Amino acid sequence: MTRAPHLVPALLRFPGSSARQDSWGRLLKVTAGGAELSTAARLAKGEAVLVQFDLGGERLLVPAVVHHAYDDDDGARFAELRWSDMVSRRRLARVLLEVLAKS
Amino acid sequence: MAAIGLLAKEAADRELLGLMLGELGHRAEGAGRLEEALEFARERRTKAFLLVDGGGADAESLTRELIRAFPLMPVVVALKVRDASRAVALMRVGAAEVVAPPWTPEDLKASVSKGLRFQGTAISVASAAPLSRSPVWYALAVGLFLAAGLGVASLKRVEANRAAAAARVDRWELPVRHPAGLAFDGKSLWLVEWFTQSFYALSPDDTAVRIVRHLTAETPVAAAFTAEAMWTVSADGTVIRRMRDDKMTPLARYAKAAPNCAGLAFDGLYLWTLDARAKVLRKHLVDRELSVLATYRWRGSKPAGLVFDGRSLWTLDAADRRLVRYGLERPEEPVDGIPLPEYAEGDYIPTGVSWDGSRFWTVGEAKDGRSPARLVRHKEEAR
Repeated sequence: MTRAPHLVPALLRFPGSSARQDSWGRLLKVTAGGAELSTAARLAKGEAVLVQFDLGGERLLVPAVVHHAYDDDDGARFAELRWSDMVSRRRLARVLLEVLAKS
Repeated sequence: MAAIGLLAKEAADRELLGLMLGELGHRAEGAGRLEEALEFARERRTKAFLLVDGGGADAESLTRELIRAFPLMPVVVALKVRDASRAVALMRVGAAEVVAPPWTPEDLKASVSKGLRFQGTAISVASAAPLSRSPVWYALAVGLFLAAGLGVASLKRVEANRAAAAARVDRWELPVRHPAGLAFDGKSLWLVEWFTQSFYALSPDDTAVRIVRHLTAETPVAAAFTAEAMWTVSADGTVIRRMRDDKMTPLARYAKAAPNCAGLAFDGLYLWTLDARAKVLRKHLVDRELSVLATYRWRGSKPAGLVFDGRSLWTLDAADRRLVRYGLERPEEPVDGIPLPEYAEGDYIPTGVSWDGSRFWTVGEAKDGRSPARLVRHKEEAR
């Protein structure tokens, strides 16, 4: 486990059926299986979301499902995401390995 | 309270955001231009900066300039127009948080609080995202932990009880060799010894001998107690009703009323005798002749004792080493029975049985006839 010098910003996109505007947040933690996100968007458990963020010089677009979400003490939404697409997961795992190898 | 710099080109924005920051407990002083903001930051040692993007101000370039001047100071940007891509772009250049319009004290509080505790993203290849458990999960986990703890404690307690039970003495050697019967008068166990023609009153706690009564003219083989009297049977079959005094004063004699008697019991109304040779149970009316009301065939191997426990008659079978229960309504049919593993080794033969209100007691004669007799207190659950 290593820590980036800043919080990785993430753009959140939702399926058209949910009729939600794009939103944004900060990735508090990223792993090959999922991520922890702090956002102002009212994410709910089971909701599908497309997460776009930059890591290791690559722009990643990873589909995810909200596994768990609650309002934290600051009033922001804390969400635990699980990556739902295996291809994207493998790509992310490769990027993470490269980032960790360089750090 | 934290000093927060506020940079907004429009005075109305400065006023609105300043009020909100004040409500949140922060001290805010607004600036319309970057130079003023930098000056303010140097003088007041601000903890963070809040910028407004739009309305003629480009927060992206302002953020860069502020971070260049104060690299460790978090910058929060308030958008005048909601644009997610713009928000992400601002965060990429260094904004700690971006607040979407319409601005609310709640959103501002969350963003400023987060910005003041700025940290980097944790990165790991670990396959699963860190688990955030719901309160229900934690409650279940705590419940399981407590249940497991209780289970372990219960097992230890059971084991301790088992060890204590194993350590407890439930059998005693007696100072006699030829016991013939056993009876309980509510306080003491009465041992009938045919060889010395004696009765021994024993303490149920430690089997200490409390009383010894020697009968010179009779050979007792069985005994039973009622509320007022003590009943004994001699080897010749004579049943004797006695006072419960120190001398065991005889009150009535019933010659040959109970031949070959292996056991004697009183059920509260009738007297019962067990004939070892004929293998029959006899039900006696307590009258002047001790009349036999009924005779029932006893279906065991070797009758050795008889006792009434308040509900049923129990006979002791010395050959099968079992206590067999009979109902008072149909005494010819055994209801059930319990084994006596204490006699499984075969070196003692049970010769008498009694009931103290909660547990059975038996007395056994050594098979070799030379060793001391043994008194056994049986397990409570045996009944």
